[in-house]
Parts: sequence; C-alpha cells; structure tokens
Amino acid sequence: MPEKTDIYKLANGMTIIGVPVAGVQSAAFEFLLPGGASLMPDGCCGAPAVIEDWIFRGAGGKSSRELTDLLDGLGLHRGSAVESKHIALAAALEAENLLKAIELYADIILKPALEPQQFEYSKQLALQGLLSLDDDPRHKTMLLLREHFYPDPLGRNTAGKQEDLQNLTAQKAKQIFDENFSLSQTILAVAGKYDFKTLCSAGEKLFAAEKPKKTKDITAKKQSLAHHHYPHEGAQVHIGLMTGSVTAQSKDYYNARLAVAVLSGGMSSRLFTEVREKRGLCYAIGASFHSLKEMAGIGCYAGCAPEKAQETYDVIIQQFKSLADGVSEQELARAKIGLQSALVMQSESTSARSGAAASDYYMLGKVRSLDEIKQNIEKTTVKSVLEYLKNNPFDKFCSVTIGPTEIKTIQ
Amino acid sequence: MELKHKKLANGLNIIGEVNKDAQSAAAGFFVKTGSRDETDDINGVSHFLEHMIFKGTDKLSAHDVNRIFDDIGAQYNACTTEENTIYYAATLPEQLAGTVKLWCQLMRPALRDDDFNMEKNVILEEIAMYKDLPEFDVRESCRTLHFGSHPCGKSVLGSVESIKALKSKQMREYFESRYAPNNMTAAIAGNFDFEKICDYIESLCGNWTPKQAERKTEYFAGTGKKESQKKNNLNIQHICLMSPTVSYQDDRAYAAMLLAKIIGDEVGSRFFWELVDTAIAETASMHCEAMDGVGAFYTYVRADAKNSSKAMQIVENIFKSLNKDKITAAELQKAKNKVLSGVTIKNEIPMGRLVELGLNWVYLGKYRPIEDEIQRVKRVTLEDLQNLIVQYPPINFTQFSIGPE
Repeated sequence: MPEKTDIYKLANGMTIIGVPVAGVQSAAFEFLLPGGASLMPDGCCGAPAVIEDWIFRGAGGKSSRELTDLLDGLGLHRGSAVESKHIALAAALEAENLLKAIELYADIILKPALEPQQFEYSKQLALQGLLSLDDDPRHKTMLLLREHFYPDPLGRNTAGKQEDLQNLTAQKAKQIFDENFSLSQTILAVAGKYDFKTLCSAGEKLFAAEKPKKTKDITAKKQSLAHHHYPHEGAQVHIGLMTGSVTAQSKDYYNARLAVAVLSGGMSSRLFTEVREKRGLCYAIGASFHSLKEMAGIGCYAGCAPEKAQETYDVIIQQFKSLADGVSEQELARAKIGLQSALVMQSESTSARSGAAASDYYMLGKVRSLDEIKQNIEKTTVKSVLEYLKNNPFDKFCSVTIGPTEIKTIQ
Repeated sequence: MELKHKKLANGLNIIGEVNKDAQSAAAGFFVKTGSRDETDDINGVSHFLEHMIFKGTDKLSAHDVNRIFDDIGAQYNACTTEENTIYYAATLPEQLAGTVKLWCQLMRPALRDDDFNMEKNVILEEIAMYKDLPEFDVRESCRTLHFGSHPCGKSVLGSVESIKALKSKQMREYFESRYAPNNMTAAIAGNFDFEKICDYIESLCGNWTPKQAERKTEYFAGTGKKESQKKNNLNIQHICLMSPTVSYQDDRAYAAMLLAKIIGDEVGSRFFWELVDTAIAETASMHCEAMDGVGAFYTYVRADAKNSSKAMQIVENIFKSLNKDKITAAELQKAKNKVLSGVTIKNEIPMGRLVELGLNWVYLGKYRPIEDEIQRVKRVTLEDLQNLIVQYPPINFTQFSIGPE
C-alpha cells in the first residue's frame, strides 16, 4: 500500500499529522508541546519536569484519580519526556479508543487543574528524580555531555537543577505553563489505524477555540568545547564525548548519518571492532547522531575500568579522526543496509512512526516518506561522505567523565 | 497468522508463525540453559558462552560474523537469563535465509582460546557496568538472597572471581552438555516461507547429536530473609522485594501477572496512589516473573533515604491489607485493558512475536496463538486473584536494599 501522510493545520496554528500503518490494530500518538528545558527562564531549570507530571494530576473538572482511571480504562501505554524545546506526551493503544484518549489529552493540555498541593508532589518527585540520576552515572554522563556541548540554553539539563527546583513555586510554574503552552507551536502526530477526517474534526472541536500565544525566541550563547570531570566512587569511568555535525535540514545530513554508521552502526563498525573486539576495553561502546533544530552533534559513550579509561578515550578519538582518511565501499554499503533495514523495521511500530513524524515536522516542516529517506541513503557515496568529513572535521570535542579517576583529553 | 511446526529426528524443534503482511521477519534460537543450570565453579558460563557464540566457527572469525550480520542489515543480539539463552535477529524478508544460515552455523562455535581470553575482559567490564547500576545490582542481590541454595539464586553474570577462574575447557564441556538439539528451539516469525526455511535448518542442523540435558525444577518458596548493604556512593535507597508465586507452566500465571499490575503497575496501581502520587517514593513497581517450575513477584522501590522507611511501611500495609481491602472489579478491568492493548502492540512486530513464540514452546512445548493469550487474560476472575493472594501472600517477601542508609 503506498503510504500517504496527511497534514492538517488548525486556524490557531496547531498541526495534526496522520501516518497510516497497514495491517495494524493499534494507534499511537505524540503531542509535541512547546515548553522544553531551553525555553525556561533563568533560575527555573527543571520546571518542565515538574509540569510534565503536574498536568496529569487532574484536568477538565476530573480529579487526578478520575483522570488516571479513565486513561487506564482505555488501556493506554503512555510516556512523556522533556526535550530541549518540547515536552513530548506519547501514548499507544488499541485503535478503537484513540479519539477518547485524544479527548482526555485535550483536557490535560488545555484545562489542567494545576492545584498547589499537587504541585508539591510533582516537585518532590522531580527532586527525587534528580537525586537518583546521581545513582545512574551512565545516564548522567550523557545529560551532562549535551549540557556542555550545546551552548546555553539549548542543552539545558532536562532533569533540572536542585537549587532551581527547590526554589520553584506553584505560582511560577503555572506562569511558565501559561506563557509557553501555545497551540500555535503544538504538533500532534498519529500513526497506525485511524480515520484522518474524523481525527481532524475531533481536533477542530477540541483545540480550535484556543487562541495562539506569542512565541518566544531564545538566543544561544557561544559554544565552548571543553573537558569536564565529575568525581564518583563507582566501578567504572563513564566517558562521554561529542563533536559537531550538521542538522537534519542540511544537504549533508545523510552523509553525516552514514559517517556515524560506519563508525558505530553495527558490530563490524569501527568503534566496536577497535575498542571492544580487538582490545577488550569495555562492554558498552557506541556513537550516535543527536540533533536539535539549531545544531547537531555526534555523541559517543563508553564505560570501562579506571585503568583502561585513558586507552579507551585515546582509541575512540583516533577512530573519530581517522574516519576522514578513508571509508571503503564495503563499509559504506553495510552502513546503508543497516540504516535502511532499521528504517523498515521501525516502520512497523506505530509508536516509532508517530514519534518520527512529529520530530520530522518540527525539524523540517514536513514529514519525510520512507521512500524519500531510502533514496537519500542510497544516493550517498564514499566521495560525498569524505567530502562531508573534510568540511566538518572531527577535530574538536566536548567531553565528560564521571568516575574515580581523571583522564588526559585533547583539549 | 499461520502456525508451522516441525521436529527434526535429533530433537530440534522448529516453530514458525507466518504473517504475510509483515514488513520484516525475525528468527532466533532459544537454548534452554542459563545460570540455574550451572555449578558454582562455572558460575557465569552461560552468559560468557552467549558472548563467545559471536566469536565465530571453525570457518568464520569474529569479524566475519559481525560483518555478515551487518551485510544482511540484521538487528540482532542475544540475552541470557537464569534459565534461557536467546539469540535473535530481525531482518527484511529477503535476508531471512542468510540470517538463519548464520545462526545455524554459530550454534556450533569454535570457542577459540584467544577469543575466550579477550572476551573475558569484556565480561569483567559488563560486571563492573552493572555494579554502577544500583537498580540492577539490588535485584541481583535480592534474587541470590531469596533463592538461597536453590539454583535460581545463581548470578547470571557470575562474579569477578568465578569469571577470572573459568577455563575455556570448562566452557567447551558446558557447551557440549547444554547446546544439544533436543534442548534447543529454532523460532521464526513474520513474512517468510516456512517449508523453505525448515529445509534449510534441517540441512545445517540435522547432523547435530542429541544428548541428555536435564534441569532440576523443584519448587522453592524463598528464604524470606532481609538484608541491606550500605553504599556511600549512592544518593537514594534502592529496595527490592521478592515473594513466591506460580510458575510459567501454571494456568494461574495470567492471574499472577494481572495481580502484580493491580498492585504495582507504574501508573494507576495501589503502589502508584500510595507511594508515587504522594511523592514518598520516586518509583514503586511490581511485576511477576513466572519461570520453569517456580515463580516470583518482584517489587522495586526507589526513595530518598529520609522516606525509605515510610515507603516500606506503606508497601507492607498494601500487602497486608489485600485480604480485607479486596481487589475490585474496576481494578481488574483496568489491568486487563492495559495488558490487552500491550498484547496488540507487541504482536504487531515480528520481533515481539518471536520472543512469545519461542518462550511458549520452551516452557509449554506448544504453540499459543495470540487469540488464546487474549482469552486467558479475559478469563481471569476476582476469585482467581483472591485465591492467589491466599496461597502466595506477597507479604512473605525476601528483602534486599542498597543505599546510603
């Protein structure tokens, strides 16, 4: 069946996207709501993590318990996340319950109760989440890496800062919610089994009355790439490093994705082969592409015993740098097959499809078809990847280590 | 969906579920072996062997294996638990034959000394990695405490000492005794031609020799011990509780799964309202792990040190009150709805289906269609739950906690 993505815009600017997936009985949806970590006023780092919990504590005249019971009654599998620019609310369920779920989410987004007592609970949970992040050094490494790599406020820690969270009041959080949650910047993407016309009528009924709000611009500071060490008496040194790349809008985007795949696509890729297979330096090693709308990077994580940390870091840097020296036709062919087959497999998941559609629309103003992505991957050549590497050399790195010992870095 | 099954003369079961609408196919081997099948002196060998399978055969080097998988564009991996070692890969339908061929070859590995010695470093790093993940660490310690001398108490990863002391010869002996065709299941799900793939597997695996590969499956209710470990590098208290429940083979396994969801699903459960909604614990969850001949309810609570005693008091009250504050019809219905939509979502992807297909065959020796799974969930009654609570009271738990307290 040829795929046909539908896009519908409400008068207030909210976008509704539909991605049909053949042969499924489920539907998944994702709301991207403006109000991510980078949009917070200074001194309010972590407010989105509180708001993300708070809006579910009663809405549209229903108490927290009534609302949760209704969501559970629909068999909803839900998740939410704070991103740089957005709060993402995602869910998957059996298709017949889709519209009932969207109705409840309209209440959550437009008419949350935001009661002060409930705020205190949400705030305490965010504070505990921050504490437990310290017990998960691997995860913390990657959050800190993005914070240091992207210029402030783009990379702000999505989990928040303790002092800011402690000082946050219900009044301030409500003000942030009121100022940021504009439907003109909101994207709703649905994938799976649904009727687009019915979905849009529901969207008109539920969301059209809400007026758009003034959007906020942010100015990022200058990027500064440096090394940051955080002492931690753990079993391993957790190493994160990141170097600049092109964003999803760039003509070089697919060259960048293929370059990362040669470096760390499958188990025959360079990092896995050189760091783990040949030297046995660590168990977890991998690099991946990470993009915001404004800028992007290629991040890498490795965790290893303290006495192996220096060698691990050195080998990783060497592998990043030597990529520009040459990529073989076979390596590129494997990287292409890996990306293309991953794409087909993800296409079977309604959750993955709705998430990708929302993200595409935000980044590119359109939703790429699977065919368009496949063709762009196919068009990439060894020459184009090397040209990209020449113009965007992997020579400057931001790095973070958490662990009992420090390492010497190239900065 | 169309079910297919064939048993080779040497005992290897091949099970397939064909879905011609799927965009991909998934294939794997399920070996009925894990840490519970080890002795103390080779603890960790099942998991180490899983790594060594990827190091190739007499004809393929480790790099060849990685390269072929990547040439095929497979998404592949493996996992080892207390009682299963599972190798799985998802590919485009046209690449399935190549993937199956490679898995069949790899199930007869070279187990070279050089690879063994190099991979030992990786295993030791993996052990260190999990030491830095307290949620995993506390669960592992609790399982050891709960099962005591029962084989299910053995660590999947093994210890630094057991791995360092392990010899390649011991691994080869273990391999010979456990990777017998009659102790393995080949499973395939998605868009593929069963007869063709079956002939292929038979040509590659038909000459494997069957062996006796037994497992002790005696029931064990758990020690009920309570221990804690102070760790100054942790910020928050991580608490794991385990109590006995029914096995995978028991018809009440679906009731046990629903009961755990009602008590401890991440949202909307009794734990959620008493502990997380009130911000006493950051996380509180419960799930059921039905295993071969035994079963356990696992509870995990994460709370900052000042709240951890209060959180434990609440958990105990929730468990104790299950007899008087009975599960309601509304609670059961919500849990069923969540489980049923989960079944729909998981089974839409061949990879998700493969795991169900393989495990059902390993544990039950039969195929369980999705519709059957749905009916089993729907049939659970309040009386089933109440009987389960009486027979397996969650209050009879073993407890292990780690953290600053």
